[in-house]
Amino acid sequence: MVAAPFRYQRAASFEEAVAALAEHGEDAKLLAGGQSLVPMLNLRVARPEWLIDLNPVGAGPVAEAGGVLRLPALTRHRVLESDGLVRRRCPLLAEAASLVGNVRTRARGTIGGSLAHADPAGELPLAALTLGAEVSVLGPAGARDLLVDELLISYLTTALAPDEVITEVRVPAPRPRQGWSFLELTRRTSDWMVAGAAALVELDERGTVAAASLAFGGVAERPVAAPAELLGGLSGEPPAEQRFARVADLAAATLRPEDDVHASGTYRRRVAGVLGRRSLNQAAIRARASGETP
Amino acid sequence: MTDGDKQRVSFTVNGEAREAWVFPHESLLDVLRDAGCHEVRYGCGEGVCGTCTVLLDGEPVSACLLFAVQAEGCSLLTVRGLAQGAAQPGEPHPLQASFLRNGAAQCGFCTPGMLLTAWALLRREPHPTRERIRRELCGNLCRCTGYSKILDAIEDCRQP
Amino acid sequence: MTETTVPTREGYRIVGRSPAHHDFADKVAGSLLYAADWQLPGMLHGKVVRAQVPSARITAMDVSAARALPGVVAVLTAADVPWNQIVEHASGGLGELAVAMPVLAADRVRYQGEPVALIAAVSPQAAEEAAELIDVDYQDLPGVFEVEAALEPGAPLVHDEGNLLVTWNIGGDAAEVDAAMAAADLVVEGAYRTQRVEHAYLEPEAGVGWVETGGIITLRVATQVIEHAGAIAAILGLPANQVRVISSYMGGGFGGKEDMTVEPYLALLVWHTRRPVRLVFERQESLLATTKRHPFTMRYRTGVRRDGTIVAQDVDIVGDAGAYPYLSARVLFAACVCASGPYRVPMVRHRARAVFTNTPPTSAFRGFGAMQVTFAYEQQLDRVAAALGLDPVAVRERNFLAKGDAIPTGERLDTAVAVGECVRRALDALGEPPRPSGPGRRVGRGFAANMQPYGRTMWFRDRAACWLSLEADGSLQLRSGVTDLGGGQAASLAQIVSEILGLPLGEIGVHIGDTALTPPAGGTFATRQLYMSGNAALAAARELRARLLPVAAALLGTAEDDLVFEDGMVRSPDGSGGLRLAELAAACHQRGVPTSHLGTWYAPTGAFDPASGQGSSFPDYTFGAHAADVEVDLETGQTRVLSYAAAHDVGRAINPLRVEGQIQGGAYQGIGYALGEEIVLADGNATSTLLANYLMPNAVDLPDVRVVVLESGEGKGPFGARGIGEPSIANAAATIANAVAAATGARVTQLPITPERLLGALDALAVETDTVEGGPHAS
Repeated sequence: MVAAPFRYQRAASFEEAVAALAEHGEDAKLLAGGQSLVPMLNLRVARPEWLIDLNPVGAGPVAEAGGVLRLPALTRHRVLESDGLVRRRCPLLAEAASLVGNVRTRARGTIGGSLAHADPAGELPLAALTLGAEVSVLGPAGARDLLVDELLISYLTTALAPDEVITEVRVPAPRPRQGWSFLELTRRTSDWMVAGAAALVELDERGTVAAASLAFGGVAERPVAAPAELLGGLSGEPPAEQRFARVADLAAATLRPEDDVHASGTYRRRVAGVLGRRSLNQAAIRARASGETP
Repeated sequence: MTDGDKQRVSFTVNGEAREAWVFPHESLLDVLRDAGCHEVRYGCGEGVCGTCTVLLDGEPVSACLLFAVQAEGCSLLTVRGLAQGAAQPGEPHPLQASFLRNGAAQCGFCTPGMLLTAWALLRREPHPTRERIRRELCGNLCRCTGYSKILDAIEDCRQP
Repeated sequence: MTETTVPTREGYRIVGRSPAHHDFADKVAGSLLYAADWQLPGMLHGKVVRAQVPSARITAMDVSAARALPGVVAVLTAADVPWNQIVEHASGGLGELAVAMPVLAADRVRYQGEPVALIAAVSPQAAEEAAELIDVDYQDLPGVFEVEAALEPGAPLVHDEGNLLVTWNIGGDAAEVDAAMAAADLVVEGAYRTQRVEHAYLEPEAGVGWVETGGIITLRVATQVIEHAGAIAAILGLPANQVRVISSYMGGGFGGKEDMTVEPYLALLVWHTRRPVRLVFERQESLLATTKRHPFTMRYRTGVRRDGTIVAQDVDIVGDAGAYPYLSARVLFAACVCASGPYRVPMVRHRARAVFTNTPPTSAFRGFGAMQVTFAYEQQLDRVAAALGLDPVAVRERNFLAKGDAIPTGERLDTAVAVGECVRRALDALGEPPRPSGPGRRVGRGFAANMQPYGRTMWFRDRAACWLSLEADGSLQLRSGVTDLGGGQAASLAQIVSEILGLPLGEIGVHIGDTALTPPAGGTFATRQLYMSGNAALAAARELRARLLPVAAALLGTAEDDLVFEDGMVRSPDGSGGLRLAELAAACHQRGVPTSHLGTWYAPTGAFDPASGQGSSFPDYTFGAHAADVEVDLETGQTRVLSYAAAHDVGRAINPLRVEGQIQGGAYQGIGYALGEEIVLADGNATSTLLANYLMPNAVDLPDVRVVVLESGEGKGPFGARGIGEPSIANAAATIANAVAAATGARVTQLPITPERLLGALDALAVETDTVEGGPHAS
């Protein structure tokens, strides 16, 4: 009910945050949205000595540069779900954001925080992975970029050093005739996913599959992409639910999800296959409907 | 582990300027309640139940997941501030009157959170569908009503 | 005494209307003070320290570091409790094992979460830190975590006295039942399991206590039962008049605040420190350790004739009592009485046992045993219908009880039984069945009828009192020991009194729930308050009216029978004369006629013979039926409730809007029970204590419950009302299970009907979908 005492520092910039992290080391945690961190503090299962508040850094508007969608790290989920640019250029991300928690969660939660927290059942890590997004990271030694695929290591574990902070998330430009899908199975609306699948399907001028990507959430220690070889087999063929089913089932068969209070690993794996097929299907339908212009 | 020093934090609650000396680890929920805003309630500490809902600069947030120091300079609205928007002083806000008329409160513990979330929704979307209202209230749990009369009450307050 | 005629239906002024008043206005304003909202100067913060293991011996406990922490005012252990025992006479002495429950565990821990120490500190922070400094050595003991294991010979004993708390037998002679079963055309056997669930009221358990003038330990707590004051006094070694309990308006109770929650710990800390103390349970603490609903394991054998007539039924129920008795004996009694539901069963045997396990104790929860059995008996009859190729509604109609029929205890129902009409109206309310929303989905319709007792078991000699006082200005004070869960328990009394004495609701002051100041009404449970306190308020109002009438008649020069009480006046109907109540009060004062009155209502009593399984059980029942259309996703096992209707005969709806609200709320809890709620334990250890993981339904995941209210007028409450607090929770689980079976052919006999469990049942049926080849059931 009451968090253990900590010392508090406001960071007015990412540089300040990095300096504070460098000074306090493992004793410090960054506070962004707080929707995942603060419950842990309230239950006294996390007890950082220092809390570095990133909220004063703020977030400028979502922007587009050369087709790439640029999202400041402190962009709130609420903005992702409603911002016109995000909904037009990256509806998969908008949909994923709309499924995160409830309105209060989305008022405060941030995309940077969500990726840094790396909950394997998180909607945004799954979406970002599927989109091939990359992040900019700032540390004492300077800035570096890495793909979300490189960022997410394992359960609540990322490639970030203790003194690094995500500053921006970038999503590549959508492809022409590309459709998307983001599906999750939850026990209740707004809960953590039992399993989720996100897909992109790109069609060529003849209407056959040019490229497809598929990733699963909630079924491993981090969101996991379906093997590229499996998806590659879809190229050049017309989109067909039977083919999607085989790919999804084979991809799901490689998963070894854990049991938890809401579902067994066996059930998760099975549902992953179902959602994988459905999301490839839905993405293909959207691709067909999208016509020439993205 | 050492405590940080107490800090002064200033914010407005229902239009009234407030000041408190708080440790950084004190939640906005606890500080508001200690300041007399008992209508902001503890229900879970996880941000799940919605009984601690306040509007922070117009947006519903979980007061149990914010530290009071984070509210510096912010404008907070609790359910007791809703009545300030009523037609006459001392009258309830139309949403509150609608809740009463429709039997939308039984034990009443979830009611402030419901009212604030509904108020914020109707300000942005004057005529949401019943399904839209349901989705917006997803994070405000009620154990008594089954939600139907709460939805009825909010629908009654939509712009025509 | 002049008997006031009950007004005819058409003649009611306020009964049957839905004014919103009293506490509800405060609730929407946000001004109501709940138990945790009380602040007193110098108030300390209390905390209960709990064992984290389910079965152990305490070999050592060191609280010295905690006591020495700055800001800590008291740390109490078992040695500090004057009489370390909570006594519960749950069966009224009808054969239950006598087992003591300590307030604080001294040497033995029997469930994870059992209290072992108490802390009072100047801040919640200091209390938390002190709790972390308490050092307890536990030596694990073998435990039992399932009732089957607990009943095995040689099983580890939760209590030295034994693991079987009580056995109830109701019905006829075993040999006769077996003979009738053997002669049946068909016997349907079924095994059903229900799960452990949590009340999950939005208001956690809470209270504030302080020492009043004269050293009276005063507690203001969220409690359904202020009468626990006696037990609290015993624990403190004080005479009963040295403890005062005030109930705050609760943020939900549902039976979870019926036993003592914070009271003994709060009282001990107040008594020991002599300072005000606030104690609020953390949500996660509440999910871990407070009382839960009894999981039931049920075996049914239903013998029928080819035309669907029930000829015999044999039921065996085992309820998991958890680690301590609490109200288990009563819960299993209610289950035993109601185990065959609203049906005629000529040859019937019910056995119900409560068994201890090393799990958090189970006790009262809306439905109280009569709920769990509905899941079984309503599925049994759907299975009978399916096996015989008969319409499930027709099977019910062939067997429904009617007024005058005997139930398994031998008692004859003496009020209208409208259950058949409830079934028809609930099904009608659903309208046309919808089509599936896509391939791989199936829709189905199901229904379930039930009976739920209202009023306490008749051997408890129940009574309730209500005080009314007409003030000099013509307003009225109403005092009742009733406690208010949020269902308008207090407001309903005002509405009843207003009907008889004609005052506007705004002129009736209602004061409830204070052992020092209100006449005893008994607790708010067993759907008894409208029946008991409603009748008490009605009696008090009629008796007061009868005393005022002659004075008014003399003043107005009219016959008493002609006078009407309305709008705060007493009038002759032709409008020729009238008196304001203030004038009447003044006249009474002049004549020495008291204007206040204590009315007491005594429930009929009876005796039950546990040996024969026959005798008095409950005063009456509320009958009802729910119906639902569901859609099942065959590939994921997810069930969506598309539409839902609930019909109940409430006798008379005193406040129709509140009656609807109760029915909708009960149905909602029932749907959560059916589809997702469960406290999952692993060998007595909680797998999660987060509210986020407790799947009570939110606003998105269930449809509006369409309510049909029938008013037979034959209830035993005021104006012919029946109780409605509990009945509507019982039907949902069977309704949904029957609908799922109708949709898919798969019957789920264990709750909750999770997607995974349903998928397992579908696999077992090997249903083929029409989506893709090698659908989900091909390997």
